[in-house]
Amino acid sequence: MQLRSWRHFDFLLFGAMIVLIVFGIAMIDSAVAGNPELIEAQAVERQILFAVFGLGVIFITTLLDYHLWITISRVMFVVIIFFLGLVAFGGETAFGAQRWLDVGFALIQPSELAKLTAILLLADYFQRNKAGAGTLGWVFRSFLVVFFLTILILLQPNLSTSIVIYVIWAALLFASGLSVRQMIVFGILALVLAAVAFPFLEEYQQQRVIQFAFPDPEARFGTSYNVTQALVTIGSGGWFGLGYGQGPQVQLRFLKVRHSDFIFAATAHEFGLVGTLLMLAVLFFLIWRVLRAARLAHDMFGALVCYGVATWILFQTLVNIGMNLNLMPVTGLPLPFISHGGSSLLSLMLSIGLVESVVARHKMLEF
Amino acid sequence: MSERNPIPEKPSVLEPWRITAFGIVALFIFAVVFVRLFSLQILQGDEWLSEAENNRTETISLPTRRGVIYDRNGIILARNIASYNIAITPANLPADPGEVAEIIRQLAEYTALPIHRGDIEVDPLVQCGENLGLAEMVEIGTSFAPFQPVLVECDVSREVALIIQEKSAEWPGVSIEIEPVRDYPTGVLTSTFIGYLGPIPAALAEALSAEGFVPNRDKIGYAGLELFFDEVLRGSNGQRVVEVDVAGEVLRDIATVDQPVSGQNLVLTIDTRLQQASDAILRNEIELWNQYFGTLRISSAVVIAMNPQTGEILAMVSYPSYENNRFARFIPQYYYEQLLADLTYPLLNKAVGAQLPAGSVFKLVTAVGALNEGIITPEQVIQTPGLITVTESFYSNDPGRAREFVDWNREGFGSLNFVGCLANSSNVCFYKLGGGYQDEIPEGVGICRLGTYARALGYDQFLGIELPDETNGLVPDPTWKRINQGENWSTGDTYIAGVGQGFVISTPLQVLVSAATIANDGVLMQPTMVREVVDGDGNVVPVVMDDEGNLLTVGYDASGNVIGLDENGNVVDETNVVSPFTPDVKWDLTVNPRIQNYENPSGIGACRETDELTTVEPWVFELVQRGMRTAVTSGTLLEQFEGLTVAAAGKTGTAEYCDAVALEKNLCIPGNWPTHSWTVAYAPFDNPEIVVVAFLYNGGEGASVAGPVVRRVLEAYFELKAIDASLGAP
Repeated sequence: MQLRSWRHFDFLLFGAMIVLIVFGIAMIDSAVAGNPELIEAQAVERQILFAVFGLGVIFITTLLDYHLWITISRVMFVVIIFFLGLVAFGGETAFGAQRWLDVGFALIQPSELAKLTAILLLADYFQRNKAGAGTLGWVFRSFLVVFFLTILILLQPNLSTSIVIYVIWAALLFASGLSVRQMIVFGILALVLAAVAFPFLEEYQQQRVIQFAFPDPEARFGTSYNVTQALVTIGSGGWFGLGYGQGPQVQLRFLKVRHSDFIFAATAHEFGLVGTLLMLAVLFFLIWRVLRAARLAHDMFGALVCYGVATWILFQTLVNIGMNLNLMPVTGLPLPFISHGGSSLLSLMLSIGLVESVVARHKMLEF
Repeated sequence: MSERNPIPEKPSVLEPWRITAFGIVALFIFAVVFVRLFSLQILQGDEWLSEAENNRTETISLPTRRGVIYDRNGIILARNIASYNIAITPANLPADPGEVAEIIRQLAEYTALPIHRGDIEVDPLVQCGENLGLAEMVEIGTSFAPFQPVLVECDVSREVALIIQEKSAEWPGVSIEIEPVRDYPTGVLTSTFIGYLGPIPAALAEALSAEGFVPNRDKIGYAGLELFFDEVLRGSNGQRVVEVDVAGEVLRDIATVDQPVSGQNLVLTIDTRLQQASDAILRNEIELWNQYFGTLRISSAVVIAMNPQTGEILAMVSYPSYENNRFARFIPQYYYEQLLADLTYPLLNKAVGAQLPAGSVFKLVTAVGALNEGIITPEQVIQTPGLITVTESFYSNDPGRAREFVDWNREGFGSLNFVGCLANSSNVCFYKLGGGYQDEIPEGVGICRLGTYARALGYDQFLGIELPDETNGLVPDPTWKRINQGENWSTGDTYIAGVGQGFVISTPLQVLVSAATIANDGVLMQPTMVREVVDGDGNVVPVVMDDEGNLLTVGYDASGNVIGLDENGNVVDETNVVSPFTPDVKWDLTVNPRIQNYENPSGIGACRETDELTTVEPWVFELVQRGMRTAVTSGTLLEQFEGLTVAAAGKTGTAEYCDAVALEKNLCIPGNWPTHSWTVAYAPFDNPEIVVVAFLYNGGEGASVAGPVVRRVLEAYFELKAIDASLGAP
């Protein structure tokens, strides 16, 4: 299906994304705050490089018929399993987990691509098995897809990425016609499973959950330091913030991992409630545009891809901001489009390219 | 996609409600985030903002410089000297751990600390502590606050400090911190009145912190002038409010720097040369007698020298004293406990704080009282046998029992006139003058009037000298005895009190002041330790205190004199203008009516005051002075003062005592109690410029033991005066 016109290209979606990425780069630049390690790692420059590269990816993806990705996703599945295997046995360790793979010029995180792969595989599966929708076998076979994809990610260990994939699976199950009754049953089942799985988690993961549920008021500099400082950073922002590049919590480095995990706090600190709500509005506008694509999509595969991408962005936004606001336990999930991280940005831009591809082709005939 | 199968408008492939549901979830999430953000940033915004401010601001206290204490000639008695501490700032150490290890290895050659000691997991980092090795201290410092200097060793020698300072170029991160420490060049010679410093006690920590002082760093006066003038000497700390980053690096000042204000300097009335001479004279005398008796007989002693016309204390020795330099850095427990346990009370300034029987020096009070009250006329001759027998009665109609009162001279003096009584210190004469005797002295001065004359001459009160150890002593009266002894005042008590024994308790300073007042023709000068207070540029700073030694606001009256004001700006009447120096007349007994009159001078039952207050006739002092002069020319001090080139006048005292120490040594044999030696004398007789008192605990006879001390101090004074005159000094 050749792209006949850019008429249906969603410039609003694209524009929102550009706004978010540019804003994110600006925030990363502020968050570097003279930290020699971040300067040395060229955090800002690398983010720009990935963004520019990502624009090319979007352009190409839009041009390509998204159905091509049904085939590509199968290859990706194999490649990702291969890469995850490589990471598992030879990846870089950060904070106790092996997630990065050194490919010479950059460290890439195969698990980021795994999220997109999951969306593609599931969308394809649900499109092909429309007839069996709602049956237990239908549910179970779709589960097997994500299970194989996540098993190596879980071993990294990278619980948060796995959870994102399972949430995408649940959302796509729902979108494809899971009944409300089944949803409730599976919801309960998931909770029980989480409770049973808790003792098998890594100790630091357990600690994070415990720390969230039962914060230790004495632990000023211990495990709760990051969370407390995030609250101080957000709360001190007030209505209009302390000014870009002016927030002492960021500039004097009291807030940790402020260029990635806690970039939301840094934003709230320097831009205040008004600025943060504006940023959130753009982000939610983007999610709405993706959701619109899901509604407009002319086939189920396209619609589910968009639905999955929307879920991915929304869920990751929720978890990241929830952590910043101390409404959720600490996880390493970045804020979509804003946080520093090449793999994450690139996978997200690739997904936006896919959504654009769906949107651009939603009308079969151009008059 | 085939064009033969056109679908122009197609409904959504997904059930629309499932898309709407997503939207609702998204909106819900947005709403939750909004509410939480609003609550954090707007509702609790101020609290979080102050926490953020707290994170980045640090207040650095800039230590002030405590005032210096000088003697009257500018000799330094208390100052601040540098003490050197080795500090390591981990952030400034080289990045390479090998280089750091090498620096530590080299540094360890100059420190008492080993490279490795202790366990960083268990042992806390203590500044100047000895529980950890150098490497461990650096490691903890690095991880805790890398920009905070770690004091690895304190009070190193100047030589080591210089070496390390020199090496600091090779050893980045290692530096020498200079800490001011109090130093007393004259040490034990002046510790009696200079005192010492100590850490801010917990009880004062809050109040002093509010004034900007830092507990555990700043020190305050604990004794002597250091304590009394603490507020004058200590100055006030400055303050920097700085911005720090998460590593503790100071980035900039965020408020104007509040510079510290140095403490003011104290110029004393003390002449260190005379102090040194007095100290040496006293020690020689003590050593002489102790060697003579072959035992540690005289265990403590006092010498005070004062200008009677101005009240300036020129020398004040309280023996034994303590080495206040040993308290400079911290108060060593074993030394302090040793001083506390010592029964000679080295920590007490005995010149103003010892409570002692005055003995015969108190006869000056009886003498002034007897003359002024007309008990005896100057011409009257008194029979003075070796002993008299009087009836001891406890109330008006008590038939009483006969009691003997003996003279120190068992043979008696035959008969003496007033001057002779004083010159020879005849006990019998003063028994009679104090308590009356048959028809010869129909009525004595009596206990009530003894009390008022004693107080007029400086006894039984705080004289207001600027020393915290000062105590008030006691001149008893019948009411006091009934309350404290549970017994009526007896006639015998009056006889005993008339010669300064029994319940009469005084301090050496009071004895000195009583003699000075007589020498000064009845003018009692405020005794003082301080000539003036000067600021860092040498300008005299006015300082006024109230009777309790609290600083008052300085004001000026119409004629430009310094006056004291209270918090409300009202003029305080009873003040002590400490600086600039003004001789302060407490009272002139010939002008100011200070003598209380009584309905019943003998004080049977209780002293009943009348409304009348009277003065002392000027000739009374002249005659008492003549008596004291005669003591030197032909009386009790004849032998000791023989050959003294300056005309002196004096009074001796041999005071019987029986205190806890004497009791323990079984010295309190009835009728033969041990005695303290007293002598007080002034010179020149015509225009007295120095009055000296010497007191030697368990010294024995007043004249022979304390007399020589006073004589030599007088000699030393006039010798110094001659030297000053030959040098052209004022």
